[in-house]
Amino acid sequence: MTPSPRERIIEGAYSCVARYGLAKTTVEDAAREARVSRATVYRYFPGGKQQLIRETIGWEASRFFERLMQAVEGSADFATLLERALLFAHRAVADHAVLQKILQTEPETLLPELTIESHRLLALIKAFLLPPMQRDPDITPGLDQERAVDHVARLLLSFIGSPGRWDLEDPVQVGELVRTELLAGLTTPADG
Amino acid sequence: MAAIALAEVVTADPGAPLAGFQPMGLNHQEARIIDATLRCIARWGMGKTTLDDIARQSGYSRATVYRIFPGGKEGLVERVASVEIARFFGAVAQRMAAADSLEELLVVGIAEVSRRLRDHEALQFVMAHEPEVILPKLAFSHQDEVLSAATAFAAPYLARWLGDEDAARAAEWVARIVLSYTSNPADDVDMGDEESVRRLVRAFVLPGLVTSIPASV
Repeated sequence: MTPSPRERIIEGAYSCVARYGLAKTTVEDAAREARVSRATVYRYFPGGKQQLIRETIGWEASRFFERLMQAVEGSADFATLLERALLFAHRAVADHAVLQKILQTEPETLLPELTIESHRLLALIKAFLLPPMQRDPDITPGLDQERAVDHVARLLLSFIGSPGRWDLEDPVQVGELVRTELLAGLTTPADG
Repeated sequence: MAAIALAEVVTADPGAPLAGFQPMGLNHQEARIIDATLRCIARWGMGKTTLDDIARQSGYSRATVYRIFPGGKEGLVERVASVEIARFFGAVAQRMAAADSLEELLVVGIAEVSRRLRDHEALQFVMAHEPEVILPKLAFSHQDEVLSAATAFAAPYLARWLGDEDAARAAEWVARIVLSYTSNPADDVDMGDEESVRRLVRAFVLPGLVTSIPASV
């Protein structure tokens, strides 16, 4: 599968951002990296650098979400799916060299973009979580499912960004977190 | 400013005792200049507000502003942040101290915090137009710092109904919920409205706490 020019440009921009950071990456750099002309970049991204950077961040966020979906595929139930999602995403954020570098060096540029992006991610995560939540027999009948899935998706995003007092490397703690906080009100606790 | 100040208090003094959150005594001149600074930031933002603007808004001369706040604009903004955080925590503490049940504590605490964040004109201007000034203090590892400050503040109130360990856990959990719904509002939840918050608390928070109420209560 040959990537489209558009994808090649975004991939090129991403490599440049990884190397030079957000501020120093130019449209010329991305064009050179993608082996297209500067005019071609502007044809696909008429908004220039700002649009290119924004879409590059969105592209990487989508890739992150796809990896997350793959990591939780085949989970036996909703609780297991949430545990696997937290374990995977926490590690993926910590190990994401480009994200960590830019968070250190250019948080003032990255974070406003990531905030916009997080609204889109929240919608994607909700859509992804709803079917497995609905299928799970342990979910309390009669629950307002739209409300519940929005709430769970918010907590998931919150913990992915900031683990707080929880050690999200530890599957035992992650299991407890999912049971006590993410699923509070969604299931009737068996040990209550 | 409250959220900025929240992060700053933690960065400046990680073990800040609750006494630091009490409203501080400001004299009339200080109060007027601080109020003028907030009005300027709400209108023009942090970047564009000058000391001259603040002097004009307060009705004092530039020299008087300098005499009262010798740190210049930067020092003044820091002072405004710490005054705002004291007001914020003072007002929230007052509401929370009056709660007579765990549900009431959660409902009034969450709604009061959310309203104060939402209605804070200077904070909202900065969030909308200068997010680069504030978000680096609120995201990823810095959100952990905000969460730990919020936990230190709220846990003693929750400990009236929960064990100490559960109170700290619940405080952080609720702080996350507030941050998420205030920074990215849901269509069907009004965090400033106590009945809307009550529905949220009953649906998703109390069910996670009921089992941890000590048997003796």
